[in-house]
Amino acid sequence: MESVLLPTLTKKEEIDRIINNTIDKVLVLRFGRTSDENCLLLDDILEKSARDVSKFATVALVDVDSDQVQVYVNYFDITLFPSTVFFFNAHHMKLDSGTADHTKWVGKFHEKQDFIDVVEVIFRGAMKGKMIVHCPLPPERIPKFQLLYKDV
Amino acid sequence: MGHAYGRMKKMSDMAAFSFRVEDMATLEDSFLADLDDLSDNEAELDESDGDDAKKDEEDIDMDMADLETLNYDDLDSVSKLQKSQRYLDIMQKVEEALGKESDGTEKGTVLEDDPEYKLIVDCNQLSVDIENEIAIVHNFIRDKYRLKFQELESLVNHPIDYARVVKKIGNETDLTLVDLEGLLPSAIIMVVSVTALTTKGSPLPEDVLHKTLEACDRALDLDSARKKVLDFVESKMGSIAPNLSAIVGSAVAAKLMGTAGGLSALAKMPACNVQVLGHKRKNLAGFSSATSQLRVGYLEQTEIFQSTPPALKSRAGRILAAKSTLAARVDATRGDPSGTNGKALREEIRKKIEKWQEPPPARQPKPLPVPDSEPKKRRGGRRLRKMKERYAVTDMRKLANRMAFGTPEESSLGDGLGEGYGMLGQAGSNRLRISSVPSKLKINPTIAKKLKERNYAGGATTSGLTSSLAFTPVQGIELCNPQQALGLGSGTQSTYFSESGTFSKLKKI
Repeated sequence: MESVLLPTLTKKEEIDRIINNTIDKVLVLRFGRTSDENCLLLDDILEKSARDVSKFATVALVDVDSDQVQVYVNYFDITLFPSTVFFFNAHHMKLDSGTADHTKWVGKFHEKQDFIDVVEVIFRGAMKGKMIVHCPLPPERIPKFQLLYKDV
Repeated sequence: MGHAYGRMKKMSDMAAFSFRVEDMATLEDSFLADLDDLSDNEAELDESDGDDAKKDEEDIDMDMADLETLNYDDLDSVSKLQKSQRYLDIMQKVEEALGKESDGTEKGTVLEDDPEYKLIVDCNQLSVDIENEIAIVHNFIRDKYRLKFQELESLVNHPIDYARVVKKIGNETDLTLVDLEGLLPSAIIMVVSVTALTTKGSPLPEDVLHKTLEACDRALDLDSARKKVLDFVESKMGSIAPNLSAIVGSAVAAKLMGTAGGLSALAKMPACNVQVLGHKRKNLAGFSSATSQLRVGYLEQTEIFQSTPPALKSRAGRILAAKSTLAARVDATRGDPSGTNGKALREEIRKKIEKWQEPPPARQPKPLPVPDSEPKKRRGGRRLRKMKERYAVTDMRKLANRMAFGTPEESSLGDGLGEGYGMLGQAGSNRLRISSVPSKLKINPTIAKKLKERNYAGGATTSGLTSSLAFTPVQGIELCNPQQALGLGSGTQSTYFSESGTFSKLKKI
């Protein structure tokens, strides 16, 4: 089984480049660190399905410990790891999965097929011109988290 | 004398036609020559006893009715090669050359001027002649021995083997006293022994036997002479045809050249002919011919062919023939005396065979197709139309859906309740003619059964137990059943004897 490791990005230019160069394909950026257990599980699923969705999606990993990347971490307001952000043609795609935060996906996916379903829905919505899509997964498969607002 | 021998040669070509793949031109020539010879026949060969000898060889291909004319007595009238001057000359030269070392570097710029090459060419021609001669002698032996053991000729095809077997058996009737080990494969020995028990031949007279054995010796001599000639050619092959021997090896190259009749003859042949040069007709002895279909002759003995796996042998044979033909062409024109071309071709062959043996590349899992990129393939055609007919909207329904303007619609329960009838049943909407096209609508099976039953009551083929009479207690026998008009059916009409009835109670045993 071919498993080319997903590209890991550490610099701001790399992230910029990949966002601008991915044309007509969904770009999946995972923000996280490799020491985290949840992150590793998510990475495993991403690696396995990268080839299957390769015709309409690109997957890349961003290491959140690098300092150049903190700009993006603050921009997307990423506090919990791993977080996954979706782009299409340099446009940020939002995903309504029933949680409070639509701009990203927090946590891991339950199965490979779940991830593929999400990417497909994003792709379809984006091709139709939508900015936000509805998540196809049943609520029990969606990781729940609590949004902390100013540590409340 | 020499003139007669020349003619003899052409006729021997024709005689040997049935045994070998030969150049078509000599056959035509030999036919033409024979036409001339027929008239000159008796004038030329009056020293032969059997003056039917010439004609015999022409007819050899087939007239079994002339059996008595084929009884020529003298072997020498049949086979003259060994006594001929040419044969003796060449054999002497070969013996000499085999004895001394070759001088190697003395090669002329043109191949044809080289005296050694001339000798090789002569040797090739001679080997072809010897083969033809062997065929003639084989015929001679066969015809004589036919009286003793007719079936042997079909069991043992190869002329030399036949000669050896005949020599061994001699005049013996009981084959258990004869030891054929080593001469033939054991399966064939068994078949021969069994056939000998039931053969209808009789032992030969002494002089015929003597002549036959002499002919056998002659055949074996010729065979050994041919072997000598071929060995000589083989030893010289490296200098004569370096490229060809680089591919197939010097032994096979010598054989190929010998059978083709020279290097230029070999070069002129198309590759498909080179592939089957030397192909032996195998004796099947009852075995199926479907298994071994390989069309290869001498090329079978090459190292390359032997080392390929059996599945690839036919392809290997083809590529060997093709490349060796190319090499022969290079050699015929003396284009590459060093043999590098041949080595390159050999390498090419080896690489190709290796590539065939590679396993196919591993299958990678296919990535998913882009969503919505492939439009749905809607099918059409007769089948789909027929299927759609079953659920189509009928004319009745269409009428019911339509409504007239200004008039209130009739409905099943009246007053606007229930299903509306629309234009159905309105005056003027009935058609004059009702076409009875069988409806293709899909109907519930229980309803279909009930309809069928109702139709049967008025049909021509009703069961003998149904009746349109009604037996009532008040009026007695009635001719028409009033209950039928109401659509209730006769109470006496039982479903027990119904045409479309089935078992009422089914229990699985």
